[in-house]
Amino acid sequence: MVKLRPINMDEACRYLGYGTQKPDDVILSLLKECEEPLLEACHPAYSYGIFDMEPANPELILLKDCALKLTGKDIVKHLEGCQKVVIMAATLGSGVDQLLRQLQISNMPKALLTDAMAGAAIEQICNDIQEEIRTQMPEFRQTWRFSPGYGDLPLELQETLLSVVEAGKRIGLVTTKSQMLSPVKSVTAIIGLQDMNQITGAVHLTVPEEAGAVAGCGTPEGCSQCRFGGSCGLSAAGKKEEEV
Amino acid sequence: MITILDGAMGTELQKMGLELGGVPEVLNLTEPEKITAIHANYIKSGAQIVYANTFGANRYKMRKTGHSVEELIQAAVRNAKAAVAETGGNAKVALDIGPIGALIEPLGDLTFEEAYDIFAEEVRAAKDADVIVIETMTDLYETKAAVLAAKENSDKPVYVTMTFEANHRTFTGTAIASMALTMEGLGVDGIGFNCSLGPAELVPMVKELYTLTNLPIVLKPNAGLPDPVTNTYNVLPEEFAATIAGLLPYGVQFVGGCCGTAPAYIQAVTDTVRKWENGEIVMNPEEQAEWEALTEKRNNRPMGICSAQKAVYLDEPRVIGERINPTGKKMFQQALRDQDMDYILNQALAQVDAGADVLDVNVGLPGVDEKTMMCKVIKALQAVVDVPLQIDSNDPEVLAAALRIYNGKPIVNSVNGEEKSRRNILPLVKQYGAAVVGLTLDENGIASKAEDRFAVAEKIVESAVAIGIDKKNLLIDCLTLTASAEQAAVKETLEAVCMVRDRLGLPGVLGVSNISFGLPYRELVNTTFLTLALQNGLMMPIMNPNSDAMMGVIRAFKLLMNYDKNAIAYTAAYQNYTPATKAAGGPVTIASSKEDPVEQQIRTELGEEPAKLYLAVVRGLASEGEQLTGKLLNEMDSMVLVNQVLIPALDTVGAGFEKGRIYLPQLILSASVVQGAFGLIKEHIAKGGAESVSKGKVILATVKGDIHDIGKNIVKVLLENYGFTVIDLGRDVEIQAVVDAAREHQVKLVGLSALMTTTLGSMEQTIAALREAGLPCQVVVGGAVLTPEYAMQIGADYYAKDAKETVDVARKVFGA
Repeated sequence: MVKLRPINMDEACRYLGYGTQKPDDVILSLLKECEEPLLEACHPAYSYGIFDMEPANPELILLKDCALKLTGKDIVKHLEGCQKVVIMAATLGSGVDQLLRQLQISNMPKALLTDAMAGAAIEQICNDIQEEIRTQMPEFRQTWRFSPGYGDLPLELQETLLSVVEAGKRIGLVTTKSQMLSPVKSVTAIIGLQDMNQITGAVHLTVPEEAGAVAGCGTPEGCSQCRFGGSCGLSAAGKKEEEV
Repeated sequence: MITILDGAMGTELQKMGLELGGVPEVLNLTEPEKITAIHANYIKSGAQIVYANTFGANRYKMRKTGHSVEELIQAAVRNAKAAVAETGGNAKVALDIGPIGALIEPLGDLTFEEAYDIFAEEVRAAKDADVIVIETMTDLYETKAAVLAAKENSDKPVYVTMTFEANHRTFTGTAIASMALTMEGLGVDGIGFNCSLGPAELVPMVKELYTLTNLPIVLKPNAGLPDPVTNTYNVLPEEFAATIAGLLPYGVQFVGGCCGTAPAYIQAVTDTVRKWENGEIVMNPEEQAEWEALTEKRNNRPMGICSAQKAVYLDEPRVIGERINPTGKKMFQQALRDQDMDYILNQALAQVDAGADVLDVNVGLPGVDEKTMMCKVIKALQAVVDVPLQIDSNDPEVLAAALRIYNGKPIVNSVNGEEKSRRNILPLVKQYGAAVVGLTLDENGIASKAEDRFAVAEKIVESAVAIGIDKKNLLIDCLTLTASAEQAAVKETLEAVCMVRDRLGLPGVLGVSNISFGLPYRELVNTTFLTLALQNGLMMPIMNPNSDAMMGVIRAFKLLMNYDKNAIAYTAAYQNYTPATKAAGGPVTIASSKEDPVEQQIRTELGEEPAKLYLAVVRGLASEGEQLTGKLLNEMDSMVLVNQVLIPALDTVGAGFEKGRIYLPQLILSASVVQGAFGLIKEHIAKGGAESVSKGKVILATVKGDIHDIGKNIVKVLLENYGFTVIDLGRDVEIQAVVDAAREHQVKLVGLSALMTTTLGSMEQTIAALREAGLPCQVVVGGAVLTPEYAMQIGADYYAKDAKETVDVARKVFGA
């Protein structure tokens, strides 16, 4: 079950550029003021499907009973050693877009802070989805979330990805003509699932530094770490290697 | 007799091997016999209308299939007709229109007109279909485009079902009442629900809809909810049919199934429906009582209007905000000439915050193209406010254009008793299903006696009803005359309002504020008149909701007349009320920093208060900043205030930002303090009649294809703070629009922003187009994915990494 309350303020502050610094009291109280209206505007929804992987060649992965063809070296590398793939889409809903439009007219500082908090909120939802999958499939560990537009995975896959999880119908998430997500505060992702009983040898592939940055948003923390980093419960890269 | 519809197509095709994410419409050509077989199975199970396999057969979704819309739709209808022939020839075939797959602005980047064309193509391709169904819609605006396309390109019956969530709203926030009001207005033949939820979840929604419309209700629930892992649905046919049985008394005239349903479900529904029709299913006393209560509610439904998100019913007085109107407002007039949407939107947001239920929109101003401006303002307004709008114009052409693009059911302000007005305006009201205000004046002007104005009202009602406008969509404005000029007429107005209420049963509208024109202490006259008018039948005062005293009358009236049950709204508004003391203006205390040389200098040169204003900006203290500015404007030259206090303060903050000592939120907070101060300064200058001084015009745009505009808007705030005039073209801006604006305004600097790698291409093309047009402007670019190198590579003159750097660029370009 997704849970947004409270919004992860540390994460929001990180998006605002504060790093590990704490904002001053004026900003902190503004952040607090923005939280409730944002939560009211959020109608989080998500949809995902889990598919068996059918690697075809070094630059193509097919999925069983699924029209989505994952192309490019980066996604193949990302999913190496995995048996299944989660295709997921999540959104905060169009109410957040409207709130941000209003705030950008009436109160720019609040717009900026709300935007960052919404970024943190959608991240929380994605983490909750991964947790839900983990509960259902405890024998699988998960890679971090790879999205169309990262590395050489074409952004043009967005539309097919959304139709695979019936995102338009089930969660109201569609692409614009230029393949951007609408509502804006949304995420689509591809997560590899690796059966822990089938791990042979250490797997700790790193992904290119720039992978997330290419999309210009939401660079996963795990970018320069192991692809199973961040959210698999075996967090630090070093520790992971030991356990494997 | 209830008509049985079919069940799911998509999930049936998946059972036959269609992969998830595949394109089912192509199967109309590649596997017609499979499609026909599915239809035939539904007909054999009782379906009387089958939906052709055309749900996604629009030009946008089919663009990569290599097939035309016409080809796919004709094949689909043919396949369905084959099934009809095979099963005895009685069933009908529906053209099934689903969502386009991309959203209309502001949610997405399609225009309303593009959406209309896409749907119209589908409608024209389906000549052989018997009816048109528009289903699984989540956006009222898109639904309206589809309905207009269906009705204007065919004579077939049109049914609309939308998809709602458990919170009784669609994903885009459309309310059930908004669907009912808008679709009823557009003249569709049935409305209802499909998809998204199972039958049990739809029970409360069907009951709600039953109270909101007299149209036949169409129902196609899912077979429960899908399991994300197995993709199966959890409600079985018997349970499905049993739940539907309970809804049959509630106006349901068409029933079938959506995702996860199969022929067995339709068979179960058919059996249940026929039993119900034969009187074999009866309501128990409890169900009977609920049905009677809801039926009474349905029969006593008051007049309603709506935006997509909000319906406003005249079950109590409702306030129409009057402030979006240039008459007598210099700043507003300037905003219209400058196409400054933010100014207008701010006026709208402030009125909604203050309690307006509806906003009147009037943009008539000599020298401004009213039709273009009206559409532009309405589109901008419906992107940010959720209250319904009242379209205020006398020009039928303006009204027609505005009614077409309005998302919901608006009020038209107004028609009057003149023959020409009735002839030109009432048909538009009918065509687009709006409500309308009738002004009680005619060829003879405004009658002085109440009876004569009443007679004009009667004439308007007669003409409206004669062309099929429901009396429920009429409001009457008996016209407020100025008390100082026509004192005796005030009583006549009040009496006319009363007669309209009692004899015609129609709600009154009045522009309230005019009453006190030319008198001192206008508020006293206004509030008194408002109270009297409300008591006489005024239901929709057109007034300034920003006036606490006027809103106070409304709240108190609703409390006293038992509209505001248990005084909930009244208490919420006033529980912390303390009588206003003298206007705030006491000393502002802001501790000096002692270490800031700029502050010290301002204190020495200009004094204590300007130094405090400087600090208020640096520290982001909005109300202190506003208070100090207001005070200082009376004491010193506004340009000194700008150049020697506000801009140095911004520079201090900017320098801290560059050094990484302060962060973006603080920079923007300081900027917004300056923005507030600038608002006051502009008003001050406008009052003095002088032209405001600009350091130069800058065009800003987020490039074509990109809908992320917060970065551009931050730049805008900061540039304006530094005294530049920003012409904001918005987001997803056509290349040509940038070129045209640069030419028209003869700007020296164009700022372009793009967030995504995919839209860098259109940034490059925009720059190229500016160059090709031979315009002498320079271009500054910015955005998350840009680098200085790339900026040069695509032909920009400057790269700015953030808003502060953009200001530096502008200062350089303009030598300011």
